[in-house]
Amino acid sequence: MTVATEVRAGELAALIAGAEVIVTCGPGGVGKTTTAAALGLAAARAGRRVVVVTIDPARRLADALGIEESTDEPHRVVGATKGAPRRGGAFSALMLDAERTFDRLVIDRAGDRADAILANPVYRSIAGSLGGAQEYMAIERLHELVAGSEFDLVVVDTPPSRHAIDVLEAPDRLVRFLSHPVYRALTLPGRSFARVTNAATTAFVWTVKRLAGPSIVEDTVEFFRSISGMEAGLRQRAAEVATVLRSERTAFVLVSSPRAEAIDESAFMAGALAAGGFRLGAVVVNLVHPLIDELAMSTDEPPDSSPLADQVAYHRELRSLALAERDEIEALTAAAGDVVVVEVPLLDHDVHDIAALTEIGTLLGLG
Amino acid sequence: MTTAWACDSRVVIVAGKGGVGSSTVAAALAVLAARDGADVLLVAVDGKPGLGPLLGGEPLNRNEQTLRSITGAGRVRARTIPPAQAFSDYLDLKGVGNIVRRAASAASLDLVAAATPGLEHLLVLGKIKELERTRAADLIVVDAPPAGNAAPFLRSASGLRGAVANGPIRDQADEVVAMLADRSRTRALLVTLPEETPVNEVIELAFDLEEDLGVALAPMVINCCWPDRSALAMSATSAARASGVSISIGDRRALDSSNRFGAARLSVQREQLERLAAALPIASIQLPRLPTTRLEPADVDLLADALAAAPVRSGERPVAAR
Repeated sequence: MTVATEVRAGELAALIAGAEVIVTCGPGGVGKTTTAAALGLAAARAGRRVVVVTIDPARRLADALGIEESTDEPHRVVGATKGAPRRGGAFSALMLDAERTFDRLVIDRAGDRADAILANPVYRSIAGSLGGAQEYMAIERLHELVAGSEFDLVVVDTPPSRHAIDVLEAPDRLVRFLSHPVYRALTLPGRSFARVTNAATTAFVWTVKRLAGPSIVEDTVEFFRSISGMEAGLRQRAAEVATVLRSERTAFVLVSSPRAEAIDESAFMAGALAAGGFRLGAVVVNLVHPLIDELAMSTDEPPDSSPLADQVAYHRELRSLALAERDEIEALTAAAGDVVVVEVPLLDHDVHDIAALTEIGTLLGLG
Repeated sequence: MTTAWACDSRVVIVAGKGGVGSSTVAAALAVLAARDGADVLLVAVDGKPGLGPLLGGEPLNRNEQTLRSITGAGRVRARTIPPAQAFSDYLDLKGVGNIVRRAASAASLDLVAAATPGLEHLLVLGKIKELERTRAADLIVVDAPPAGNAAPFLRSASGLRGAVANGPIRDQADEVVAMLADRSRTRALLVTLPEETPVNEVIELAFDLEEDLGVALAPMVINCCWPDRSALAMSATSAARASGVSISIGDRRALDSSNRFGAARLSVQREQLERLAAALPIASIQLPRLPTTRLEPADVDLLADALAAAPVRSGERPVAAR
């Protein structure tokens, strides 16, 4: 490692030592959850009390983190900080279940109407899928964990998204949904609803009735009506979370891979983060093929279909791929501006235990 | 070389998690079928405009464009189906008046969709069903949404049937379910990589689609496979000796590095291919890893060649028979 890259790797170490919230974001299939877990584990091994919040992690990674399905509570990963350089750290993981978190929110906020809401068929079918609900719940959970004193660092792994930073916009979207004129009209108390002549509302009710039958309309109106009143709380927490996410306490880590689609999407996301006023702390590029020295091949070319020809052919393919990847990473580095870009090589094994996560931490320059 | 499997049904839904290259495979399949003479319509569900440039055209939008015309054979047309458009087309079809339609489609799709989960997906599938029913193309290749959305997308119709007892939505759902379950009309082509997580995910997806929804599976495509070079297990020195060539110390070191890396990756690949074959005994095709990060239109032709030439490894039996 050159001096320059050591200095830059130090930036990532400083980031996990100082931030109170780290949000990993990036396209699908680039090892985002693994990176979130490795960053969290490295911080824990450096003496901090860390929780990693993930949504739908790959099964074996979840097993490695000791996450039972849908516990929805932080789970201490036993032995994670064994032999760590600094004492006092602790590593926990939490697998987010959007529906269950939504239920909990309803129970906390809706008082004696909670049972009715939970039993509403429309609620049941949208709790897990309402536009942005899952992302919103990640934010809600983040709010609780940051406000509490149990953890020094909360690492949030966002779901893969084609639409840049859904998770960050989720609170706004939910609030926008709740402020929608149709929603407002639907939540008017009692019979006054029937007197509303707002064209959009009429069209909405008409459309749903016509398309899906009258019972859906009743359930929907009932659902919207029963969650009205929770809105003020939601708005307030959304605003608080938005403030935390834009403060110095939070750093975003953009995770990518050297494939063109991932690079393009990540470059776009870097711009979207900056435009949204979020602080990009680092870029991690996973799955990078090693760049091996070029062959001089000053002697004869090996005969076709000989073992050496096979080896040379593979060497050339690997090298040309590795070079193309360097170009892609350079483009992303330019798009990321002044932010440190750390490369993690493609390993010759899959990552699904604490030892491998520790190894990734080392590759990230985090000791 | 027969590629009849590509045109066994009128709709092929290409599905895989994010990052496995399902759009690329959809594009290669479309080109392959067009070479065989088919008039192909490529549909990007999730508004992936990149499919257009990948085939040498403009970014895709709701207006159809012709991306390839193959002299003496077929062609590839392509478009997206945004849910909002499917919604408004659907209202048109149902003869809904202008004022109500404008209010409904502009202001309320989000709300209507929230009230009837899966509706957006159903509307898009319904539009595909209309295209299939009116024979808008010989073959419709659908690039399904990635990132875990393929199953909910395809399940939207059967899900809504549970929630909605009658009315036009129910009719639409019934018709979509019928199309999905008819193997002469629809097949799903699964795409995966020879890596652990993609293998796990494709196994899950295959059971979801075939057992839960009764969607017939086309041969599965295992994308980005490195050619199995057994010579990588040898040292460069022995390889040089066996090939009767002498090499410099520098070259020997460089080759030993690439050999070691390649052999380790190949062993991961072999292990995952075996695991996949054991867990999912269906026909499969391996596509090569191209040594590039950014695919060009010419690469899609290479992949179409590979798709045509690859042996279809037959599985023992359909998933559902397990």
